[in-house]
Amino acid sequence: MSRNVELGFLAAAVFLGALGIGMVEFTQGNWLGAQVALTFVTFSLAFGSVHLALRAWAPNATPMVLPIAAFLAAIGFIEVYRIDSELAALQRWSFLAAGAGGALTLWLLRSSGVAVLRTYRYIFLAAAVVLLLLPLFPDSWIVHGATVNGSRLWVRLDLPLGGQELSFQPGELAKVFLTIFLASFLAERADAMATVSRRIGPLKIPEPRHLGPVLVAAFAAFGVLIYQRDLGASLLLFALFITMLYVATGRAFYVGTGLALVVLGGVVAYEMFDHVQTRVIAWVDPFSDFTGAGYQTVQGLFAMGSGSLTGSGIGLGRPDLIPAAATDFVFAAVAEELGLAGSIAVIAAYALLVTVGFGIALRARDRFRKYLAAGLSIVVGIQAALILAGVLRVFPITGITLPFMSYGGSSLLASMVIVALLTRISHEERS
Amino acid sequence: MPALFLNILKLLFLALLFLFLWQVALAVRAHLGTGPSTRSRRKASEMVVVRGDGATVSRVKLRGGGHTIGRSDDADVTIDDPYASEFHARVGYQDDKVLVQDLGSTNGTYVNGRRVGAPVSVAKGDTVQIGKTILEVR
Repeated sequence: MSRNVELGFLAAAVFLGALGIGMVEFTQGNWLGAQVALTFVTFSLAFGSVHLALRAWAPNATPMVLPIAAFLAAIGFIEVYRIDSELAALQRWSFLAAGAGGALTLWLLRSSGVAVLRTYRYIFLAAAVVLLLLPLFPDSWIVHGATVNGSRLWVRLDLPLGGQELSFQPGELAKVFLTIFLASFLAERADAMATVSRRIGPLKIPEPRHLGPVLVAAFAAFGVLIYQRDLGASLLLFALFITMLYVATGRAFYVGTGLALVVLGGVVAYEMFDHVQTRVIAWVDPFSDFTGAGYQTVQGLFAMGSGSLTGSGIGLGRPDLIPAAATDFVFAAVAEELGLAGSIAVIAAYALLVTVGFGIALRARDRFRKYLAAGLSIVVGIQAALILAGVLRVFPITGITLPFMSYGGSSLLASMVIVALLTRISHEERS
Repeated sequence: MPALFLNILKLLFLALLFLFLWQVALAVRAHLGTGPSTRSRRKASEMVVVRGDGATVSRVKLRGGGHTIGRSDDADVTIDDPYASEFHARVGYQDDKVLVQDLGSTNGTYVNGRRVGAPVSVAKGDTVQIGKTILEVR
C-alpha cells in the first residue's frame, strides 16, 4: 500500500525531471531526443532501485521520503544539465551509484535493522575521523589529498592502471558516520547530560564535566577549519553536534554555549585566516570587490534578481555566468530560471523532508532510533539552510553542496544513504 | 508567438511543481496525523525505572494509596541513588489521576525536566526524575 503511493509520487517526480530536460532541449533548438530518454532511464534506475529495495527489505516504511528526494534531485539535475551538459553526463553515473548505495544500505540492514549500527559505534567514530583526515595525506601516497579552490577536502586515489584518478569528498560520508556515533553516544549519556546540578540566577547549568564533549566537538570543528580550510564542513559538524545535544537533553544551555563558541571561533578565525576574511568581506559588502572576492556572490544576486517572480524559463537565463553554478550556487540558477515561485518550491520541499524526518524520529521505538532519525534530518536541514543562506547573502558563503540538487557524486551518495537509513527506521517503527 | 508559448510552458511547469508539493504535503499531514496520540490516551498503570540506554530496570505498579520513593529502606520503593533523599517523593492514583508529590527532598523532583513544587499530575510517556534516577510513566 505505502509502496504503491511511493511509486506514484516517484513516477511524477521522474516525469517532472524529464519534462524539464525536454524544455532545456527545446529552448536550445534541439527537438526532444536522446537526452530526455536518458534522463528518464537514469532517474528510473536510480530511484527505482531504492524503491525496489524498500519493497523487499523495508516494506512498511513511510512513502514520503524517497519522492521528495527525487523531486529535489530532478530540479537540481535540470539546472546542472542546463549549465553544463558534460557535468550532467557525469552526474548521471553519480545518480546510478547513489541509487545502488541506497539499495545496498537497505540490504545490509535487512535482517539486523539499524540497531546493529549502535554496536559498531566506535568503528563509525574511527571511520569518520579517518575520513576527515584523508584529505591531509601527502601527495606522494596512493590515496592523497588535493587542494581545490583553496580548500583541502578532496581525496584522489591514483589507480595503478594508466594514471587514472578517482576523486571524492570523504567529509560527506563522515557526517553520516558521525551522526550514527552521536545518536548512540547520546542514547546513553543524554539523561546524565540533562541533569541540572546548579543554577546561576535563571541559568540552569549542567555538571561541568558534561561540557567536555562540547569542547571536544568545538576543537574538532576548529581543526577542520584550520587544516582543511573548509568553513562549511566545520560549521555543519558543530551545528549538528549542538542541535543533537539539544534534541537529546532539551537543555537550552548547550545551544547557548554552542552559539557562544561559534561567535568566539568566528572572531578568532576572522583574525587569523585570510580565507575567512575574504568570505566575510564578500558577504558584508560584495560590491566593494566586485571583480574579485565578491564576484560569485554578486553574480548570484544578479541571477536571482533577474529571475523575478516566475523566472526566465528553463533554458532561457544565463546561470552559467555564475562561478560554481552547478555546485554551491545551484539555488541561484533555480531562482533565475524558475523565479521566486521555483525557489519557494525548493525550500518547501526541504521543509517537508525535514518534517517527515522528525515525524519518523517522534515515533521511533527507542532513543537511539529517535536520535538517529532526528540527527539525519538535521544534517540535511542544516546543510541546505547553510548554503541557501550563503547564496541569499544572509550568511557568508560556506561552500557546501545543496543535498540532492548540487552536482557531485559524494554528496549524492551520502544523501541517498541518509534516505535509506531514515526509511529503514520508519519501517521498524511501523511494523 | 514562441515567446508566448515558452511563457505558458514555464508557468505550466511551475504549476506542476506546486501540484506535486501540495499532494506530498497532504500525504505527509495524513501520515503525521496518526501517531502516538492514540497510544498515550490509554491509562497509565505503572512507572518503570529506566537506565540511560532506555532499558527497564524495575517496575512500580501504581495504586490508590501511593508509594513513597527514596533512599531509605523504609520507603515503599527503595532506590540506590546517592542524589536521592531518604523519603524523596510520593507517586500514586488520586481521583483517576496519577499524582507526583515532592516530599521536601534536597535535590528536588523533576517532571519532564521541570522542578515540582505542588503535587502535579502526570500522563503516559512523562518522565519523573529523582536524584539521578529516571522513572517513566507507562
